[in-house]
Amino acid sequence: MNNPQYRQRAIQAREELTDDYFILWIWDEAWGAAVRPGQFFEIRALASLEDAQVAGHIPKLFKPISIYDNQGGRIGFMIKNVGKGTNALSKLRAGDMLELLGPAGNGFPVYRGKHALLISGGIGYPPMWYLQKELINHNQVYWMHGGATQGDTFPCDEIFTEDGSIGKKGRVCDGLKENIAKYDIDIVYSCGPLPMLAAATAITQELAIEHYASLEAYMACGIGVCYGCVIPVGSALNWDYLRVCKEGPVFKAEEVRWELI
Amino acid sequence: MGTHLSEIFSQSLTAREQLKTKLGVLELNTPLTVASGTFDLENLEFFDPSCLGAFVCKTITKEPQKGNPQPRLYETEAGLLNSIGLQNPGLDLFIAEKLPKYREVLEMPLIVSFSGSSIDEFAEILMRLEACSGISGYEVNISCPNVENEGIAFGISEEIVYKLVQRLSSMTERELCIKLSPNVTDIAAIAQAAEAAGASSIALINTLYGMAIDYQTGVSRIKKGIAGYSGIGIKPTALALTYKTAQAVKIPILAMGGIYSWQDALEFIWAGASAIAIGTANFVNPLSAFEIIMGLGEYLLARNLKLQDIKGGVTI
Repeated sequence: MNNPQYRQRAIQAREELTDDYFILWIWDEAWGAAVRPGQFFEIRALASLEDAQVAGHIPKLFKPISIYDNQGGRIGFMIKNVGKGTNALSKLRAGDMLELLGPAGNGFPVYRGKHALLISGGIGYPPMWYLQKELINHNQVYWMHGGATQGDTFPCDEIFTEDGSIGKKGRVCDGLKENIAKYDIDIVYSCGPLPMLAAATAITQELAIEHYASLEAYMACGIGVCYGCVIPVGSALNWDYLRVCKEGPVFKAEEVRWELI
Repeated sequence: MGTHLSEIFSQSLTAREQLKTKLGVLELNTPLTVASGTFDLENLEFFDPSCLGAFVCKTITKEPQKGNPQPRLYETEAGLLNSIGLQNPGLDLFIAEKLPKYREVLEMPLIVSFSGSSIDEFAEILMRLEACSGISGYEVNISCPNVENEGIAFGISEEIVYKLVQRLSSMTERELCIKLSPNVTDIAAIAQAAEAAGASSIALINTLYGMAIDYQTGVSRIKKGIAGYSGIGIKPTALALTYKTAQAVKIPILAMGGIYSWQDALEFIWAGASAIAIGTANFVNPLSAFEIIMGLGEYLLARNLKLQDIKGGVTI
């Protein structure tokens, strides 16, 4: 895999979704040809970094954002405004500049002829949109998505909300076992909060179903240098801290030592 | 890729000369290096590698280190907390896999950062590295606990630093740079001990102590509690310690701590640094090395100065 590249790109369009969610679109044909579902970029609003003293403000780290969509180089980042970094991104409009480092990490493995189940929670939705596009022509795909409330849900096959405001009331993993049997699933892809991923892994392990989970982590460099974003991966007796940004963000779910995170 | 330096400076052939500096036994093409653990070959994608006068690798230890549990990082109001725990593959894998890659790719001097838990272990690592080609110097990380001294960090005791550096300096002709911790009572005295024992340069500062707590839940932002604090917030401290140490020793100083811009870099040179390293700035701005060297070059050219002319020239 090639190393991540640094580029500055204008935001082509900004799309509003529900309250806290929005999409920023950029255009980069070379990256469009290179990226794969599950990969991410480190992104940030362009800052006057060459001159921190004169600019008079303190530059902050990039934020890792997974690829939501890639239409032959029209690349979308679906973002939830959750903190300082994403709040700065939420203020951007079409024409504003982004700084990007990427594509980073390894994506999901994409097969043919499988019965795939996608399970996502909250802001775990975006990489699944790109993944299902790549899977849909050669696989049967069933997609479950869960959120706290209606504002956290987006188009898919089956919706769960914790408050019952739309879809089934409950957590998305509540329906996992049943759907694996119902749709004769032989591969699961997941992305979402850690407890959701751990719960999904417990079920796929019990049923011996192949399962790839995409993890989120606090990052500094995003390119494999600083070892800040690691998670324990391996067997219960022999594991190592692997980098979410480099060896991940997608891992074989049964190899992640969820009990140690 | 950034523009090639030779193009930028094509109008003046003297630009390169003005940026040259010496770090102990090493002649550096530019005064700019990188702080251990913040920069690797991946970063060389972002700009012309000839911006760097030397390359400092992530600290290696004799045995592989698993590192600390998560969370290891937290970005504060002004700078970064880290608690990596020296995660590294160990000396054997470094020599077998990492070093050949460095030899193949790097055109600038390679400075290997290493650490140990006893003087014997430091010496053993140095002996192994001495047998390897492609290494120009060492940065000795002494901010780690000493098993022979109740786990207290090597770097806080003048006597231990003297003993350690004396042992190591007798073993090598390569650059021997001792990296000092700021978490001591008198950094200048430690630097003097290193100098007296044969160190050829001093690197400072390693991270300060730092901590952050989620005020709502009371939970530490870093799993191990106390972390290393780096970045823009530590610049005034790093500058003061550079100045203080430069007054106390004759060997060159490789200064670091919150250098984000070329103006920051100049401040450290005025304070007495012969070379500077960028660390956290590599995360905040992947082009910082390029921008700093461009800014320094332009500043010196416009005034027809060399680095040597301003080194240590601060007016108090």
